[in-house]
Amino acid sequence: MKQTIPLIIVFTFGFFVIIAFFIPLRVFQDASQTFETWYTGVIAFFVFIGIFNIIKVNVNKIQRKLSDWQYSIILLFFLAFMMGAGFIGGPEGGVFDYLFEHMQIPLGATMFSLLAFFVASAAFRAFRARTPEATLLLIAAVIVMIGRVPIGYYIWKGFPNLVEWIMSVPNTAAKRGILFGADLGLISMALRVLLGIERSYMGGGRE
Amino acid sequence: MKFFDRLEKIDRRIIFFLVGLAVIIPLIIPLGLPVDITGPVQDVFDRVEELPEGSIVVVSCDYDPGSEAELSPATAAFLEHCFRKNLRVYMMGLWPAGPELGNLALESIAPTYGKVYGVDYINIGYRPGGPVMLVSLGRDFTDLVRADYAGVPIDSFPLGRAVKSARDIDLVMTLSAGDPGVLHWIIYFSARYGTEIATATTAIMAPQQYPYLSSGQLIGLLGGLKGAAEYETLVDKKARAVAGMDSQSIVHLLLVVFIVIGNIILLYQKRRK
Amino acid sequence: MSTEIGVWIAALLTLAIYSFLYKDNPFYKVAENIFVGVSAGYWAVILWFNYAWPNLFEPLIMRGSVIYLIPIIVGLMMFAPLIPRVSWLIRIPLTFTMGVAMALVILQRIQGEIFPQLQATFLPLSGVSPMQLISNLLIIFGVLSTLVYFYFSKAHRGVLGVFAKLGIWFMMVAFGASFGYTVMARISLLIGRVYFLLHNWLQLI
Repeated sequence: MKQTIPLIIVFTFGFFVIIAFFIPLRVFQDASQTFETWYTGVIAFFVFIGIFNIIKVNVNKIQRKLSDWQYSIILLFFLAFMMGAGFIGGPEGGVFDYLFEHMQIPLGATMFSLLAFFVASAAFRAFRARTPEATLLLIAAVIVMIGRVPIGYYIWKGFPNLVEWIMSVPNTAAKRGILFGADLGLISMALRVLLGIERSYMGGGRE
Repeated sequence: MKFFDRLEKIDRRIIFFLVGLAVIIPLIIPLGLPVDITGPVQDVFDRVEELPEGSIVVVSCDYDPGSEAELSPATAAFLEHCFRKNLRVYMMGLWPAGPELGNLALESIAPTYGKVYGVDYINIGYRPGGPVMLVSLGRDFTDLVRADYAGVPIDSFPLGRAVKSARDIDLVMTLSAGDPGVLHWIIYFSARYGTEIATATTAIMAPQQYPYLSSGQLIGLLGGLKGAAEYETLVDKKARAVAGMDSQSIVHLLLVVFIVIGNIILLYQKRRK
Repeated sequence: MSTEIGVWIAALLTLAIYSFLYKDNPFYKVAENIFVGVSAGYWAVILWFNYAWPNLFEPLIMRGSVIYLIPIIVGLMMFAPLIPRVSWLIRIPLTFTMGVAMALVILQRIQGEIFPQLQATFLPLSGVSPMQLISNLLIIFGVLSTLVYFYFSKAHRGVLGVFAKLGIWFMMVAFGASFGYTVMARISLLIGRVYFLLHNWLQLI
């Protein structure tokens, strides 16, 4: 039962959505719409469980006094503060908006901007023409890096057009080839899931 | 040749420092390099120009603070164009923080054109469920969209019920930083309902969009901060993106210098062996 | 220099993150944990006000539409592992969402990607300018050779080997272009933050 019921669910709902696509009758479209709406509702709980897990992991860290447990207090405090601000004051205006604008945006933006420095360091240390293939990669990268910014246009007016050609011809060709391969793999994986051959996403356990 | 050996082992913090300088100096002392306009950006601009007044444009802010620096300038420049052309804006987002980031631009730009919330523009907030939600949304907006971003019932706004299905939308502009994003708008929404899609993506995602540009599934593309700078130039509202282009140019030059030095070191090491 | 407290908070948090460039330190760790905390809190609030209340709980509680109990109960099954005896129930929301999502993957990848991309590869070889002809041929050969590279059922020797090699070259150009754009993206993010510090905080520009 623990295995069969879930497999019946994945098969039934999956093939219903596929069949409904080919039958333009109202009743099939309405049923599809209902299932898709339910899906969206269930997905909302995936986010809630994610937040629940963040709380659980950090409470556990504090209770066991694991390394850097003090920082977990900060994390939980700000999580509670943000939720309190939102649920009491509403999502618009007030403290919730203020925290979003003056803490979440700058922190998120800065966190990812750190990578600029590491990309520069990697360009110096690792971007080397050791083989003909690597040389080709390097040349394409340098042309795009220079040709895509205003200084490229300033150096040579033809640079932007050269980059545009690289992007729309060799880049498009390779990306399209990869895309076909990925799509065929994805579709076969989806079929395996619907037919119950692929079950790893259901989690471990013998049953 | 100890010089090359020492260069090879240079403290990475020196590289960090040089990168920092290359960003800061051109921002304080601008070079004023001209911004060239590429075809895919011009295509987005031209399509918006062609839309008749009152057309409905869905602006989907599918990004978060991590990509704010690249996509907020594009959002602002695009909204500027929409309001100037008297188009109606229906903002939403597939990422939780997207619509809130978009709202910052809406709140600063809409009043300058005398636009009224709920009449000329609306923000329906975050829509969870990614691709499956898009299929459902295209079929029936009324089923999924019940409140705006602040939780106010959608029926209380005149624009709230103007979109009943994908057929009522004239153009979708997705400002996309990953999944879910532009790919899903193309294959789950446009492919099913035939709606035109334009996009502004982070620079990392831009190369992946070219197959869709060439197949006509995308009508145009603003790639990264440079794309936003081009759009700012086209709408003649030069702001953050254009201001950043000099720094962008100088850092790129610096990185090319790094790459060249790195390869000279490689040549030296090969010769020594 | 700005006199707004919010701008100062944002600037100090920005500098706290950048302190990591020197080395890992408590300021960075504090900022990092604040970020995770406010982001998770933000998600919960936005999801509730933008979706869970108007689309699930409001119709159930205020209008008595019991049909909404289905997604709510199935969604709550995500918490089943907390009770070991019924932990297997988590498979119901997982299989339900996988069923619907995978069905749409099959339909939309074919309709929205494979067909239009195939169509876009059948490019004209006559009635076009010589430059366009070269570009069209390159696209056709580029797509085919990239596909050949990923065809592992036969050894890459002879004609197949030449094609596979060609495929590698096309991919190298594409990866190089992607690298160029990646550099561009990262630098743009840095410019964004430096612009904030110089413009909004220090008001130097």
